Parts: sequence; C-alpha cells; structure tokens
Amino acid sequence: MNIALPPGRFSGLLLKVNAFLAIALLMVAAFMGLVAYKQGWFVRQTMIHFVTPNALGINKGMPVKLHGFTVGSVSEMQLASGGVDVRLSLAAEYLMRIPQDSHARHAREAGVIGASVIDIVPGKDERALAEGAQISFEPARGISEIIDDFRRQAIPAFNEVKQAMTQVGRSGQDITEILASLRVEVEHLPATHRAVRKLVEEAAQTTAELGRQTGATLQAVERVAGTMERAIPALSEKLASGIESIDAAATQLKKTGEEAQLTLKSARPLLDHSETAAREAGDVLTAAKRIWPLSDSFKESSDGMLPIDSFEAQGKGRTR
Amino acid sequence: MRWLAAALIVLAAGCGSAPALKGGDSVAKSRLTDAEARAAALAKTGDYAGAARHYGEALRIATSLENADAIAANAINLSIVQQWLGRDAEARAALAAVLDDPRTPFSERRKLQAELRRAILDLSSGNTGAAAVWAGQAERRCNQGCEYAATILNVRAQVELESGHAAEAARLAQAAAERSRGNAARAETANALRTLGRARHAQGEALAALEPLRQALEIDRELGDPRKILADLSALARAADAAGDLAAARDYKERGLAVSRAMNDGRGAAEMEVLLRR
Repeated sequence: MNIALPPGRFSGLLLKVNAFLAIALLMVAAFMGLVAYKQGWFVRQTMIHFVTPNALGINKGMPVKLHGFTVGSVSEMQLASGGVDVRLSLAAEYLMRIPQDSHARHAREAGVIGASVIDIVPGKDERALAEGAQISFEPARGISEIIDDFRRQAIPAFNEVKQAMTQVGRSGQDITEILASLRVEVEHLPATHRAVRKLVEEAAQTTAELGRQTGATLQAVERVAGTMERAIPALSEKLASGIESIDAAATQLKKTGEEAQLTLKSARPLLDHSETAAREAGDVLTAAKRIWPLSDSFKESSDGMLPIDSFEAQGKGRTR
Repeated sequence: MRWLAAALIVLAAGCGSAPALKGGDSVAKSRLTDAEARAAALAKTGDYAGAARHYGEALRIATSLENADAIAANAINLSIVQQWLGRDAEARAALAAVLDDPRTPFSERRKLQAELRRAILDLSSGNTGAAAVWAGQAERRCNQGCEYAATILNVRAQVELESGHAAEAARLAQAAAERSRGNAARAETANALRTLGRARHAQGEALAALEPLRQALEIDRELGDPRKILADLSALARAADAAGDLAAARDYKERGLAVSRAMNDGRGAAEMEVLLRR
C-alpha cells in the first residue's frame, strides 16, 4: 500500500539532518575540549618520582602541593625494588620553583583528619629540579604512631609525678600548705629582687669608696710607722718602769685579796640572811600583786602587747 | 674599809644572783616566754621579719598549751608586725586565730583588741564598710569605758572621713581627743588631733584645721615617730595652701620632703615633691 505524501514536505531533509548532526558534533567537541582544558591536557606536564617502602594512603590522582598550592597530581604508582615507585605529574612551569634538595612528604590538609596530599617541601639549593628526577620521601606518621610516641614520652613524666605525689603524701604536709608557702615566697620575690639590686649598687659604691680610702689609709700607716719608729725606744723604757709598778701593784692586790677572803668568810652568814630576805620579799611582792586593791597598781601597762595604734589605719607598711 | 668592801660584795651578790626558777614552769612555758621576749626585742630594734617569726613560734607554742590569753596576745602582735611588713593578708590571717575561734574562751579585752586590729587592717586596705562593722563591734564590747575608747573613736573618725562624712569625722575625732587627754597613750591624742584637722580641712575650714594639726605635730615630735611627723607636715602643708598662707605651706612641704628623704620613704618624698610643684 502506498501512501501518497504531499509534495515538498521533506524537501531538504537530508540537509537539515546533516546540519543537526554537525552542530551536535561541534558541541560534543567543545565539551570535550573544555573538559580537557580543565583537566590540564593542554598544559605541558613533566614528571618527577620518588620511591617509598610503603605506599599506604597514597592514591593515584592525589594532589601534589607546593607551599599549599596545587602544582600537580600523583599520576602513576608501580612496584619497584625497595618499595613503590610513585610518579608525580607536575605542570612544567612549576618545576623551576622546586630546588634540587627538595623532598616530598605525605601530609593532611587540616592536621590529622584533613584530605591526604603529597606536599613538596622545598630545599635550599639554588638549582631547580630536573625533569624525571627522583626526590626523597618522608612517609606520614599514623595516629597510632603519634599516640605511641606520646605514650613513650608521657609515661616517664607520669611516673615522676606519681613518685612526687607519693613523697608529698609521705612527708605528711598538706599540698595546699606547700602551695600557699610557695605563693608567699613568690610574692616576696620582687622585694628580694629590689633588695639585691640595692645591695649590688651599695656594694659598688662601697668598693669605689674603699679604693679611695685605701690610698689615704696607706699614707696614714706610713706616717704612723715613722712615728712609731721614733717612739719605740722611749716607750720601751717607760714599759720597763711600768712593769715594775705592775709587779708592786700585784703584790698589793694579793694582800688585798687575802684580806677580802677573810672578810668574805665573816660576811657569809650575813649573805645567807640577805638572800633569804630577798627571796621572802619577792614572794611577798608576788603575793601582793595578786591581792585586789594592789593588783591594779602593779599591773604592767604594756602587757607584752605591741601598741594598737589607729594611725596604722592610714597606710600600708612601716618604714624602718 | 673592810666593811665597805663587805657591803660592796653583798650588793654585787644580790644583783648577780640568778632568779629562782618557778617550780611549776614546764619547758614549753619557758620556750613560750623566751619566744615572746625575743619577738618583742626584735620588734623594738626594727627587725620586723624576725619579730614575726618569733611571734609565730610563740603563737604555735601557746596553741599547743591551750593558753587562750597567750594565743590572743601573740596573734594580735603577729598581725601588727605583719602589717608593718606590708603583709595585710597575713596580718588578717593571724587575727583569725581569735576572731574565727568561738570555742576558745578568750577574754573580752583580747576579743576587743582583735576586733579593733581587724578594723584598722580593713581601713588601711580601703575596706571602709568592714572597718566600720569591726569598729562598731569593738565599741559595743568597750562600752565607752575601756582603755581603747579613744583608739576606737579615732578609727571610726577615719572611717567617716574616708566615707566623705567630714562633719561626723570631726565630731568623733573631737571626742577621741577629749577622751585621750590626760591619758598615758598620747599617741591617740595626736591621732585624734590630726584627724580633726583633716576633717576640718575637708569641711572647707582650712584656717581652723591648722591649730589641731600643729598640736598633733608637737606631740608626734615629742613621741618621735617620723611617719606621723610626715603625715602632720603633709596635712599642714595642704591646709596652709588652702588657707592662702603660701609661705607657711612651702615651709611645711620642704620640711616634709626632708623628713621623707631621711626616712628613705620614696612614696612620701614623691608626694611632697608633687605638693611643692603646685
């Protein structure tokens, strides 16, 4: 059965279909071009690599950063002798900014929990890295390794603290008392510091003064030595006569002593009596102090108390 | 001659004989007496740190002996010495041995002394409210008839002056001056006259302030306390300035500056220099 189509309805159909296909093809090409541009296919890439004994955490496509700026990505990983050979694809223009002694390390963008990246740590060499060069690699420490490390360092410290606390407990002193004493000592530190400074200043002044006075003293000593040299002969004569006088006086003193001994023997009963009398008088006085009418008269005004002076309310401290 | 020699020997023996030991005194009691005597001697010579150490030791021994009077006396003395050293917190803590212990039967006199000391300490650190409360408590215990009546009135006068109530301060200072006149504690008379002068100055009566201040200065010079002489000269300089007697004011300021420099009191000297520059 033939269906009669109106003449002219599909005229130019082939042309239209071709135009549509051409536009679609063009759009697909433009899209692919855009994707390629975004993927950096038009940027000239260069390759460097490193070998790591353990590639755990390193993935293909992982960003490579220099100073925190993305300069490339991990392009390829393959087993090699001694570990895994990791190839980094970098934009060629950034290669000149990476010194030869640079190294790569596995890092995270935000501390322990951020995204993993390969961070290139620039060295200090003035020459830039060559294309295809091998750099050293510093693997990342896992959280378990960090905890182990912390534990290794902290355990001796904890043990020391425990030991110190045990000692404090054994000493029987309250920790608050120790802290209070420590606080008091710390409060006194500024005053001590001022006092030491003053002492040092005074010592410096005294030393200078001493230097001046020493000169004068030496001169005076010289003068005295001269005078003594002249005076000694006369003095020795006087000394001889003085010794004779002392001898005579000693004889006289001996006699007086003998007489005093005799007097003391005769005065002994009187002495005993007077001591007894003094003791009794003391007892009477003590008793009298306790009796009501006299107690007020004997009351000590000071009472062993320092003066309670309202003037102390005016200010702080007291000048010595 | 022999009798004269005998008399001299008897006299020397009387003076030199050791005092009889009291039979009932324990080792701790003699250590307490010794610590108190040492502390008093050190306080007299100006070694306040040493005095504080010995008063602390005496307080400890007195506490171990449960000797209420000695506990209170040494606590109060310790608070005084600590304040002289500028350690207000320690001074307050020392008084707590009396004020915060309701079990020990302290005498009314010791309680009053401790309350008065607490008022003085609080006022010196600018806590006028607490000072007023403690002074009021001491006054109630004193009941207008104790040996510390003038001191209490002086503290209250200073509280009022610091609170801006100059008229009430003048009234209390006047009362303190009257109560302390003829009393052995002339220091409180001088304190009262000084506060009276300052209160009158604060009331705007600079001329009337000069006379009590001069009297206070006279007494303080007799008593020989340079801190009070400096306080008198400072108050006199301000009052004379306010009264328009510039020559007298300058004289007081220069004397005050000389006193403060002789005392090595940097703060007082600075204050006087500021007054001189005006």
